[in-house]
Formats: sequence, structure tokens, C-alpha cells
Amino acid sequence: MKKRKPIRWGSVADTAITYLLLLAVGFVFFFPCLWLILASFSSSGSIYSFQGFFPSGYSVDSFRKLFTDTAMYDYPRWFGNSLFIATMSCLFGTMLTILTAYCMSRFRFKSRKALMKTTLVLGMFPSFMGMTAVYLLMTQFNFINNHWGLILIYTAGAPLGYMVQKGFFDSIPNTIDEAARLDGATNFQVFCKIHLPLSMPMIVYTALTSFTWPWSDYILPKLLLKTKDTWTVAVGLMSLGETEFSRFAAGSIFIAVPIVILYLCLAKHLISGNVAGAVKE
Amino acid sequence: MTRNISALTAHVLVLALLLGIFGSLSLGRDEARVQTKFTGELERNVTLRILENDTAKEKGYFGELLAAFNKAYASYGIVAVDANMDQYTDLEQDGPYGYGPDVLYQANDALMKYTDGKHIQPLPVEQLSCYDQISPEAWEAYTVEYGGEDYIFGVPVNIQGPLLYYRKDLLPENWRQNWDRDQDNVPDMVEYWTELYAYSKQVRAESGGSKFGYMKSLFDTYFSSGFLFSYGGYVFGAGGTDSADIGFSAGDASKGAWVLRQMASIMNQDCIDDTITVNAYSMLANGTYFATMTTPDVYTLFLDELAKEYMRTENLNETDAYAKAAENLVAADIPKLPASGDLEDRDGETVDSVMMGGINGYAISAYTKAPNAALAFVDFATSYEMISRRNELLGIVPARADVATQAGGLSETVNANLMAGQIAVMPSIRAVAQIWTPCQTFFSDLAKDPFRLPEEQKYQTLEALQQALEAVDEQIYAAIHTLN
Repeated sequence: MKKRKPIRWGSVADTAITYLLLLAVGFVFFFPCLWLILASFSSSGSIYSFQGFFPSGYSVDSFRKLFTDTAMYDYPRWFGNSLFIATMSCLFGTMLTILTAYCMSRFRFKSRKALMKTTLVLGMFPSFMGMTAVYLLMTQFNFINNHWGLILIYTAGAPLGYMVQKGFFDSIPNTIDEAARLDGATNFQVFCKIHLPLSMPMIVYTALTSFTWPWSDYILPKLLLKTKDTWTVAVGLMSLGETEFSRFAAGSIFIAVPIVILYLCLAKHLISGNVAGAVKE
Repeated sequence: MTRNISALTAHVLVLALLLGIFGSLSLGRDEARVQTKFTGELERNVTLRILENDTAKEKGYFGELLAAFNKAYASYGIVAVDANMDQYTDLEQDGPYGYGPDVLYQANDALMKYTDGKHIQPLPVEQLSCYDQISPEAWEAYTVEYGGEDYIFGVPVNIQGPLLYYRKDLLPENWRQNWDRDQDNVPDMVEYWTELYAYSKQVRAESGGSKFGYMKSLFDTYFSSGFLFSYGGYVFGAGGTDSADIGFSAGDASKGAWVLRQMASIMNQDCIDDTITVNAYSMLANGTYFATMTTPDVYTLFLDELAKEYMRTENLNETDAYAKAAENLVAADIPKLPASGDLEDRDGETVDSVMMGGINGYAISAYTKAPNAALAFVDFATSYEMISRRNELLGIVPARADVATQAGGLSETVNANLMAGQIAVMPSIRAVAQIWTPCQTFFSDLAKDPFRLPEEQKYQTLEALQQALEAVDEQIYAAIHTLN
């Protein structure tokens, strides 16, 4: 007869406490999301008609109104504007960030160190510090009320955060580059055919961060977009009236959809990349 | 040493004189140039961007106004369109770069702050059809004196004075016997603050604290400062133009503060911040509150919420629900206050309430390329027909006397209140921006007082309130004049 292992009560207690703590922390983060989701389905449209935590009645009216009642609050258009700005910023921003990081990691040139230190210091300043200057510049470029003005700012600002990507490129051994060059590869070919495929997790990470910043930003669009038809979702939702809470909640829930889809599609690359990186190490 | 000081003083004085002369000359030139912009000759084939408020858009009034104007001026090629901007957009920020609207509809304090930077222009208002119909008190809110001459920068459209909103169907069934002591067929609790206070206590006690009589966010300076004004307080001296004379503590203003403190005791702690302002629409609709105080322009929001509540709870169709809501939602004049400043004093003398108000109107951007067409739009929008329609659709209190008389009821009363000085119009000078924070801090602290432990309460005597109000005046003075 197989002898049963004695129960180690210390280990059980440790596991139980860990799980309880994780559940408590998870609940703290999940609670506001759950409340917002429930509020978006409230039939009354007001948070003040809730019976405790739950709405007094449920309906999908808020979501229907969000996409059909566009006379005052044109959510579909705001959503489209946000999507356009975030997608373009993501494409250009990722490209520039990866190129900057690659240059800083692989090439040695005069003032490289100084440039790195300068960008590091500049990156520490919050972007809204230069709002007045940005506004004046944009008026001169005729970029007020123009989505490309925002895309320009997001794209131009993205490479300042190249340090993480540089760290990743630094971890790829130089001997690979040298071997490729011995085989006659140019710098561009080394970048495209060797580094890019190896950098998929970093590209995915960069793309996600480049997308989420413009997608959820409020300050810059509020400053530069004056007419309602050019607004992004963040600016539009803030303009909703006091009695439109469930529409606000529905809009806030729906805004998460593209981010969730992006994460679901790209998570595989992110994880496999991380694992690959671990093996290399 | 003395010679040096004299020379320095002389130089400073000469510099100040030169700056003063050039400054006034430049001002004079600007005003003269602006006046000549209105030649009377309409610019042709132009598009006017009009900034209106959201309620006017939501209720369809703005669409009607644009359609009617565009039809009337089609032969000139003048087209008015929605500026499609936030209703609180700042002309000061966007106008100079060409992104602001041509015509703006905002409150007088918002519009008149633009006069400092000359972002809006003085108007030849005598040419407008509404000129004689609007009271001098209303024009006064848009008048600024430069170099001894008065310039009018805006055209009053509606008067924003607080009103008491209450639910007629929530009155006690026996109100005629128990709550109409003066036998005027109007419930006493909507005529006298003392009665409303007593009724609120009763409602709260009977419901076990789940329902309330009067509820209002007391931290809100716009609504609470009126209680100080009713007992002699004011914002700025010299008719609201002297920012060195701040008068929140003037006269017996401390009595008004005492009234507010008593009111807080019949509410809950939501009165300390803006919770009640935000939830009043729903709470009045679901019967948790009996009454609240707010401006006429949000009448339709209350109506919508109440109608929705009837549709939900009584299964009424939309038409019947709105009819019932319109019947039961009453916007009344502000009740009278006790002369003694004590809400328990139900038998004493009363005084009229003086409330802070504003006058919303149209102004024309100094950056418009078509000032004459813009003036034509303002003339059209303030005509008898359009203001009547505005009153009909939005329930506003018109500044035009003829429309107010025709509408009767509250429109007439509020106009009369303005002329009788019972509406203290927000001063139209930039310094008014500095009153809100010190006042809100005080009102918030005052509203909190009844909820503190007895030994921690700060405002138990009129003297303590007087001192606090004087401190508010000093804070406002410092905010306006420090570094200026």
C-alpha cells in the first residue's frame, strides 16, 4: 500500500494566503471595470438610480444610442478619428523608434553618447510641459483641427523612448552582424533580414505602446482639435452631459475593444519573443 | 542721494505718463476702428460660424434659427453654420489664430472677459431691433467704459437667475390646510425658506432619512452667494466694477451664511461638494428630493428625467409621460428669507431673496471677416420671433421685455426681479474669475460644519461667520491684486 504524503500545513497556508491576496488584488482592479460594465447596461441612464452596486434595470439602449443617436454626440466618428490617429501614429512611431534604437545600439558615431544623454533627459519631461509652444507651432503649420498634426507630434515624440528597444538590440550578439557582413550583406540587409525577425517581440511591444498612447490621450487632442467632427473618443466622451452617464460608460467600455483585439492578436508574438530571448540569454 | 531719488521719480513718472498717453491713444484708435467695421453694408457670399449652447442644439432650436436666417439672407449669399465647437470654447485661445467662431452665445462673465484682449468688438446696438425692448439693467452687463465712453459688447438674450424647482405631486395631500398659512393658494414651503426648512425636516424625519425636502450643493458659489447678498453682501463695489472693494462680508452677510449652515443640517453630506448638482435630475425624478435650486436653462433636463421616470415606473407612453412631467415639475421664484436670518423663525418678518445671476447673450468675434453679416445674424437671432421661439422650446427667461410679457409667469417675474435688483448680475470684469475658489472653500467648510462633532464645529455664532467672510474677502483681494 502506497504511503500517503503527510499534509504540510505550512505549505497549504502559504498557498491559500497567496491565492487570497491575489484574489483581493485582482478584485480591486476588476471591481471598477465590472461596475463600469454594469453601468453601461443600466436602463435608466443615470448612476443615481442604482440599487446599491447594481443598476435597477438593464438594457442595451446606451450602446444603441451610442451608435445611432449621433446628432449631438457622434461617437462613431470620434471612434474612427481615434482609430486613424492611433493607427498612423503606431505605424510611423514604431518604425522611427526601432530605427533609432537600432542606430544607437549598432553604430558608433560622434556625439552618440551626448545624444543618448540628451534624449534621456528630454524624455523625462512630461509632454504637456511644452503645450503652449506646441500649440503655437501647430497654428503656424496650419495643423490645428488636423489629425496629421497630432500624428506628427505622437510620431516625433515616440523615438524618445527608444532605450528599451536599444537594450533589446544590445542583447543580440554582434557576431551575427559580422557573419552576415562577411557574407556580403549591407547594413540595411543586416537590419531587415537578421535583426527585424529577431526583434518581433520588441516590435510588438513598441507597436502596442505606440498605439495605446494616442488612443487614450486627452490633453493633446483637446488642445489641437477644435471642431466636434475632428474630436477623438477621449475628448468626445468628456463633453457628454451630466445626465448621460450610461452612454459615457458604454463609450468607455467600447473604447477598450481595439486594444483588447490588438493584445489578443499580438500576445502570441510577445510571449514567444520573450521565450526566445530567454533561450538566447 | 536726494537728487538721485528725485531724478528716478521724475523718470518713472514721465514713463508712466507716456505709457498712459500711448495706451489710451492706441485704445481709442482700436475702438474707433472697430466701430467703423459696422458700415451697414453686408458682406456677400460669406459663411458665419455660430457658437450656440448644447441645449439649443439638442432641442432643435438652433437648427430652426440657422434655417430661418439662411433663408432670409440667401440673396446675399450669407450662410450661418454651427461652429461645431465645445459650448465653452475659449475665444481668447483660438480667436487670434483664426479658429474661433464669428458669433458666440455665452454668459456675460465669459463673454466680457474677452474685452480685455479686445477679442470681441463693441456693437452698434442701437441699430438692433431688440434695443428698446431690453432693460438698461441687462445692457449694463455688457457695457464697459473706456476713456469716459460706454461701449456695449454683447446683446442680452436670456436672464439666468436661480429658480426653485419642485415636484407638485410630492406636496403633502393636506398642504392647503397645513402648509398655506397665508391662504394664498400657494404652498408656503415654496414661498418662504423658513417653511421649506420646516417641511424638509418633516420629510426627512418621516422617511427615516431616506428622503429630503430641499437639496442643493451648498459649496456652489453661484447659488450660495445669493444668501449673503440678500443681507447686504455684494461681489465688487461701484456696481461690480471696483475689484478693490470686495463685499462678501458686507452688511449682515453673516446672517445669510447662518441660513446656509442651517440648510446644510437638513441635507446630507452630499451638500458639501457638487454631488447634488449632478444627481438632482435623477433624485428629483425618483422622488428622493422634493426641491432644488438651479437655473431656467436646465428645465428641459429635469423634464426629460421625470418623464423617463414616469415611463419606467408607471408604464406611461412618451406623450403622457411628458404631459404628466410638465404638469408636476414646477419652477418657481426663489422663496423669501427671514429678516432675522434664522430659519426657525417662522413668524418673523421676511426679506426678498437676492440671488446671483447672469445674462447670456451674443457677442461678435473681433476676428470675424464679416462683421456686418455677423451683426445681421445677431439682429435676426434676437428678433421677437426668434426669442419667442427660443422661450417656447427651451423655457428660457427672455431678456426682451415684449417676449417676457407675452410669455408671462416666471419670465415676467425674473425680468421684474432683475429690474428690482433681486438678481445680482455677475460682474463683467476679469477679476470675477478670482472669487470662485475662496468662496467655494468657505461654503464647503460651512456646509461641513453641522456634520462635525459639536466640539469641533467652527461656525456656531454670527461673529465666527463674519470673521470667516472677512477672510474670504481678503483672500479674493490677494488673488486679484497680488503681483498686479
